[in-house]
Amino acid sequence: MTNPLKKVKQIGADYKQLDEKDKKQFWVDGILNNALYILMALFVVYTASVKPNFLTLGSFANLITQVAAYLPMALGIAGCIVLTGTDLSAGRVAGLTAAVAGVLLQKTDFANKMFQNLPEVTIGWILVALLTVIAIGAFVGLVNGFFVAKFSLHPFIVTLSTQLITYGIILWFFGLNGNNGQPISGLDKAYKDFVGGELFRLGNVAIPMYVLYAAILVLVMWFIWNKTAFGKNMFAVGSNAEAAKVSGVNVFWTTVLVHTLAGAMYGYAGFVEGVRSGSVAASTGLNAECDAIAACVIGGVSFVGGTGSISGIILGVFVLRIIFVALTMLGVDSSSLYIIKGAIILCACALDMRKYLVKK
Amino acid sequence: MEDNKTVITDDTQAEDKKQREFRGLYKNVKISVKTLDFIIVICIVVIVVLVALDLRNPGFTITFDSKGGTDVVPQNQMYGEMLEVPQPPTREGYVFTGWYLDHVCEELWEEDVDVIECDITLYAGWKEDDCAVDSGRVDTAK
Repeated sequence: MTNPLKKVKQIGADYKQLDEKDKKQFWVDGILNNALYILMALFVVYTASVKPNFLTLGSFANLITQVAAYLPMALGIAGCIVLTGTDLSAGRVAGLTAAVAGVLLQKTDFANKMFQNLPEVTIGWILVALLTVIAIGAFVGLVNGFFVAKFSLHPFIVTLSTQLITYGIILWFFGLNGNNGQPISGLDKAYKDFVGGELFRLGNVAIPMYVLYAAILVLVMWFIWNKTAFGKNMFAVGSNAEAAKVSGVNVFWTTVLVHTLAGAMYGYAGFVEGVRSGSVAASTGLNAECDAIAACVIGGVSFVGGTGSISGIILGVFVLRIIFVALTMLGVDSSSLYIIKGAIILCACALDMRKYLVKK
Repeated sequence: MEDNKTVITDDTQAEDKKQREFRGLYKNVKISVKTLDFIIVICIVVIVVLVALDLRNPGFTITFDSKGGTDVVPQNQMYGEMLEVPQPPTREGYVFTGWYLDHVCEELWEEDVDVIECDITLYAGWKEDDCAVDSGRVDTAK
């Protein structure tokens, strides 16, 4: 990573050499290219001034836990965006895996337990459940990747289709064994502790275990993206699939594996989401992919393809969460939040295109 | 931490510069920087205006007078919505009996039936905790 202080000094030196017109353009570019960061700063300052508890340690702890919960899906979907695609099935896959994890890890003595003959919840069984949901997520990703890679179908079409199919499976799953669509609750304490148990305290707020897991996932994904041939192939395919193919990259398997890896991340996201929500409903995970896509684009994972970084994704998730934590604290209505989310995505895409054109 | 940036092979770089149009998902997009600037500004304005409107009109305010009990945070609800039942307040030596529309606690706010139609203040109803009286813990204030 380049030294930020050195970079600022370099920009300052370059700025001095600009004429008046270019200086004006420098500021216009600076303001527009960082519009979402400026917006975030505005919200932070305003919220802090009217809600003093916004800038407390507890509030910061709440932000960290939210980032840790939303990050895995963003890390997964980012790979699909690097390949100039996207994944609309992410939220539903997380919903399905949350339901499966919930059912596998219900309390043994819970009255509404969906499957009575499951073993007692031990650490071993929790790991089995975790691997199962990751495998389910990876399988849906594999299907997505196969259709995208084999038939060059647009990921929008393929993942929209798997989104609907997955939702159908979720509804069917919730109706199994006399459950008749009831939310899956009564999660075992061992499962809750494994995911949401206290890692340490920040102020009065407990930081849950899944913050640690998210940090591990970041390291793993950073390694995959930056230090493996697979990661480099992913960027090469995203930049120019034809050129990558000529250079000897296996475009088919790279595409399949990127989607499979993304699916595995959604599987993990669902595993965490069940505990975070306390129970799992058929609507769990609904539209979660929108947040993940928005975070990626804000963080510089471009729809142009072949561009993106793990640090950018983390920054994108942070920015989006800070904005929504601030707006929620201010009491902005949930209906307005949807409009704001849409405007942020549109703005992020416009910024993405602008940066690309200006660089030209 | 060194991050991956665009990885383009040398062969394609020259070609890419020559015909630097949008790739990927924006492949068929024809748009100028000026138009994009306009879209960005409009989006930001929409977001700010929406937040400002929301803050100016947060709905009806429901305040809670806990009458000596622990504080309860006020709420804002739109017309016709139901009250989000807050965590009951506590008061040493008393048992909480519900929220009332009047100070003398005669007209109970029915959480499952009543809806918000204007700004209101709800008053906490308390009755002496018999157990506390028996053990001599309760004071005389009410």
